[in-house]
Amino acid sequence: MPDNGRNADTVTLTIDGREVTVARGTSLLDAAETQGTKVPHYCYHPGLSAPAQCRICLVEVEGAPKLQPSCVTMAQDGQVVHTDSPAAKRMRQGVLEFYLVNHPLDCPICDMSGECKLQDYVFDEGREHGRGREPKRVFGRDDFGGDVLYYGDRCVMCTRCVRFMDEVARDSRLTVVERGSRAVIDTFFDSGLEGASFAGNVVDICPVGALVSKDFLHKARAWDLDHTPSVCTSCSQGCNVELHTRDNLVQRLKPRENQEVNGHWMCDYGRANYEWMNRPGRLESPMAGRGADRRAVDWKSALEHLFARLQSGGGDVMVVGAAETSNEGLVALCSVGDAAGTVSARVFRSPRAEDEEPLPGYPLLVRRRDLAPNVDGAGLLGFERTGDDDGGGGLEEVSGHDGIVLVLGDELGDQDEDFGASASLFVYLGSFDSPAARNADYVLPVTTFAEEEGSFVNAQGRVQRFWPGLRPPGLARPAWLVLGALAAALQGDRTPASAAEVFAGLAAGSEAFAGLTYEAIGESGVPLEAVHG
Amino acid sequence: MTEIQFRNPGWAGNTGEFDLTEADVRGTEYVGESPLDGGHPSVSASLPYMLVEKNPDAPLFEGPYQERFEKIRSRYPTARAALLPALNLAQELRGHISPATMDEVAELLGLSSAYVRGVATFYTMYNKRPVGRFLIQVCTNISCNLCGADEVLAAFLEHTGTELGETSSDGDFTVIEAECLAACGFPTCVQINSRYFEDVSAADVPAVLERLKSEL
Amino acid sequence: MAYPYRHEKETRVLSECFGDPSARTVAGWKRVGGYQGIARALEIGREATIDDVKASGLRGRGGAGFPTGLKWSFMPKNSGRPHYLLCNADESEPGTFKDREIMRWTPHQLLEGCLVGSYAIGASHCYIYLRGEFFETTQVMARALEEAYAEGLVGKDILGSGVDIDITLHVGAGAYICGEETGLMNSLEGRRGEPRIKPPFPAAVGAFGMPSTINNVETLCATAHIARHGGEWYRQWGTDKSPGTKLFCVSGHVNKPGNYEFPLGFPMMELIEDVCGGMRDGRALKAVIPGGSSVPIMSADDCRACTLCYEGVEAAGSMLGCASVIVMDETADIVKQVRRMAHFYAHESCGQCTPCREGTAWATRILRRIEDGRGTEDDLDTLVQISEQMTGTTICVLSDSLAMPIISSIEKFREDYLALIRRGERVGAA
Repeated sequence: MPDNGRNADTVTLTIDGREVTVARGTSLLDAAETQGTKVPHYCYHPGLSAPAQCRICLVEVEGAPKLQPSCVTMAQDGQVVHTDSPAAKRMRQGVLEFYLVNHPLDCPICDMSGECKLQDYVFDEGREHGRGREPKRVFGRDDFGGDVLYYGDRCVMCTRCVRFMDEVARDSRLTVVERGSRAVIDTFFDSGLEGASFAGNVVDICPVGALVSKDFLHKARAWDLDHTPSVCTSCSQGCNVELHTRDNLVQRLKPRENQEVNGHWMCDYGRANYEWMNRPGRLESPMAGRGADRRAVDWKSALEHLFARLQSGGGDVMVVGAAETSNEGLVALCSVGDAAGTVSARVFRSPRAEDEEPLPGYPLLVRRRDLAPNVDGAGLLGFERTGDDDGGGGLEEVSGHDGIVLVLGDELGDQDEDFGASASLFVYLGSFDSPAARNADYVLPVTTFAEEEGSFVNAQGRVQRFWPGLRPPGLARPAWLVLGALAAALQGDRTPASAAEVFAGLAAGSEAFAGLTYEAIGESGVPLEAVHG
Repeated sequence: MTEIQFRNPGWAGNTGEFDLTEADVRGTEYVGESPLDGGHPSVSASLPYMLVEKNPDAPLFEGPYQERFEKIRSRYPTARAALLPALNLAQELRGHISPATMDEVAELLGLSSAYVRGVATFYTMYNKRPVGRFLIQVCTNISCNLCGADEVLAAFLEHTGTELGETSSDGDFTVIEAECLAACGFPTCVQINSRYFEDVSAADVPAVLERLKSEL
Repeated sequence: MAYPYRHEKETRVLSECFGDPSARTVAGWKRVGGYQGIARALEIGREATIDDVKASGLRGRGGAGFPTGLKWSFMPKNSGRPHYLLCNADESEPGTFKDREIMRWTPHQLLEGCLVGSYAIGASHCYIYLRGEFFETTQVMARALEEAYAEGLVGKDILGSGVDIDITLHVGAGAYICGEETGLMNSLEGRRGEPRIKPPFPAAVGAFGMPSTINNVETLCATAHIARHGGEWYRQWGTDKSPGTKLFCVSGHVNKPGNYEFPLGFPMMELIEDVCGGMRDGRALKAVIPGGSSVPIMSADDCRACTLCYEGVEAAGSMLGCASVIVMDETADIVKQVRRMAHFYAHESCGQCTPCREGTAWATRILRRIEDGRGTEDDLDTLVQISEQMTGTTICVLSDSLAMPIISSIEKFREDYLALIRRGERVGAA
């Protein structure tokens, strides 16, 4: 440690009159952000290289002859920086005016409207009246292939998309074509982004409405969307995402930054896989009775009767869980099974892709072979994988079991109507009915992950939470609540009031989760080995 | 050499005082013919010719051209650095850089096709579509412009019967506007294929075109 | 007289052999003392060579006027990595035509300069980046380089010194911005010729990520002579702040345009009226752009007392740049010429930085409208403000280069603009 009391690893500077201490190697832009000053920027993105070409992040550094690009100027001891000096503001207003010379006034039909950085910056600091009298340059619209549409007229040429494809996807399918004011982003003629596995990210990082999603095109206005932190369920990577919802429907998924899991990114496969959360035809009411005897019942009578059957049970229990089900649902399922008798099988089935697909420039992020979010959680909770790589088969013994059969979250799509015919008690908990549930004594409607709170364990062994973004249909209830109530009754415990409580029970009873709480997991998750070494 | 009306060729001539030959001025006598295989590796990238006859279907790269390509590659620490010389070479053979050519060059150098397109479109000397046997580039930048370059350009368009950037119906001429060609003391400078014609006035244009036709 | 653009007042150092085809060969160049510069450099060593160039006070001839010796001294010593010398022969500043003339008459002069520079900065490879349009010039360079290799002047163990220096000709493909040093590096590496953000500076991270120095053709040629004769020798010409001789490229409305070499500090009016034979058809001088199109326009009055050296032109309100003197007589249409320059900069903008990409194109369109008689007086204020917004806000100085002629022309020739705006009257025809 140097004598002056300064740490060799940090620098202290003054930004807008306030002293800030940041790690050495921090850019002025990031340093300003630590004290709450957001310096406008387009080309800079924390996940990409910084070309310092948009020129809107220029700030005044005392002693420097010109304004400095804050994205690539590193903070130094004793620097005095003004982000809001007259010179910096005048320059920003000037740059914004240049952006508007050719930018169309099509905000009313632009998907980015409401979350557009050009809109925001111009609203904050732009000139009140434009001086442009010349007709605007027109490039028109270009289908880039895949899910991506390009509106060249709206483009601010920040080249984030080109750099993403070059540096992160390492699949240089985008380029700047031509130069000067004739420059646009383009693909190699007719061959575009189709088949690229991570190209959807270019839509996310586009600061304006130049790159938009075909899937989302004109579907919803940004300000009408609710954002719910969640976890992608399409593979066991568990990329952190947001569910963007409107009218109780998921409208799109957007990656949520987590440097331990997915950086700023997610894959196109996961991004596109959300329609199932909106799928109609849900189970909306508990039902009792096999085959033709099936009838809707209320939750109270369903659970009371089921409790009675299980309490008197003591038979051989076979449990089928699912890797799409939360830890909380699965642990409650285990509790019920254990309370009901001797568990002779505890299995789950899950589809596996032929290979995995890493994001080359961000190798932490891998589209995993396991195409379900909680394979590792299920494993930790004692579920064994069965069946084939399509998520089928492997249930021959369960199908003909003559004891108790509990199924949660597996739609039994490949099973026939004889499934569970000889079971002494067959309980089916799911979001959708299934022909193979014909023999179920009880069919209980449970929520999807999008409608409930819970946690998954991803392939890195990281516990991650998700939150409800949709209201459940009808009488569907979270599995942790349904099974938790049942288990509590069977064990003479108090019914859990929240997913957090179920998780606390899990943490108390399981070595793997010991010591963890929902609060500790937070929005960014916790690696299990960090807790247990 | 056909007698020509315009003062030139090669530089500085409107005083009429000099007794150097055209070959002296251009250095053509000293230079001689440049070998197709590029000669010494240090100068292999110094071609290309801008040829009168183009073959859009010529293979990339065979025989002496393959040799030249290999020599070029040997002079740079990265394959990427050979991109401009390789595109130059492709244009020498084919006359323009088509999407298929970009694709082939990308393959040869291990680059993405989109990247090559980005680079090729950055540089104005790459013809993105076929041009005439003679590509006539008239400098209209300030020094030439002060001395009547606009009229020279207009004369070329008139006497070739073309629109700017279009190729004459006989396929002989494409006339385009060029930025400063670094021959400002000898206005108007016109680059025709590989050659500079200097001190060209609008009145000289018919003679220049006649001379070009006589070379076909 | 073989070469018509000579004048008795000239001091011909670099241009001594212009017009003499025999100087293109190794033998011819040696006859006038060629390759003695590199021989002496090898003898006195790297540091002493850099010291000589520092002592000479030579300033970069590509336009910026940065002291060459100082630039060379920025290169790391014993970095253990390859160093590169890049020769900027991408001559494309409007009004400039000196490098082409140097290369096609005295190719070995440049090769020797490249050897001296490479040796001084510890580079074992020098790339000469020639603009793609220079086919004839490049072929002259190519034959000279082949001969230099054959004579053992370039390549392994040059002149038996144990020092290896390769030289490679690299040809561009049409982009003014590749004359900007970092744009040139990107172009050499096979990329779009977009200038790079500095820092890092080329001496730390240059071509191919290695320490690099980039010098103009004329600069390197001057170093060949300085290496031969020593630094003080060069100071016999020029001024204290602008030592040495310089090629002046005179174009436009003079009787004898061409390249003329004089000590820096030569009076501008003497160059125009005496050396260049005066104004074409005896007309009156209206304006001069003294340093290539990227510098402020000077009115005839500004020229009267102007001496052609870095400080002299600066005192007259402009910049020496690469000493490309574009002369305009009373028939010149300033608005049209500024519009033509704006068109040029818009055409050549690489498009990275917003102020340049949008500003140059926008200014061009406003100027075009004014030229077409549809302008307003407000447009002039807008043009000046746009120009200010384009100054000092971008990675390189291309947009600054347009801002200067726009601002200076509106300031000095406002009447020309107003005549068009108010009455639709063009001033001048050329």
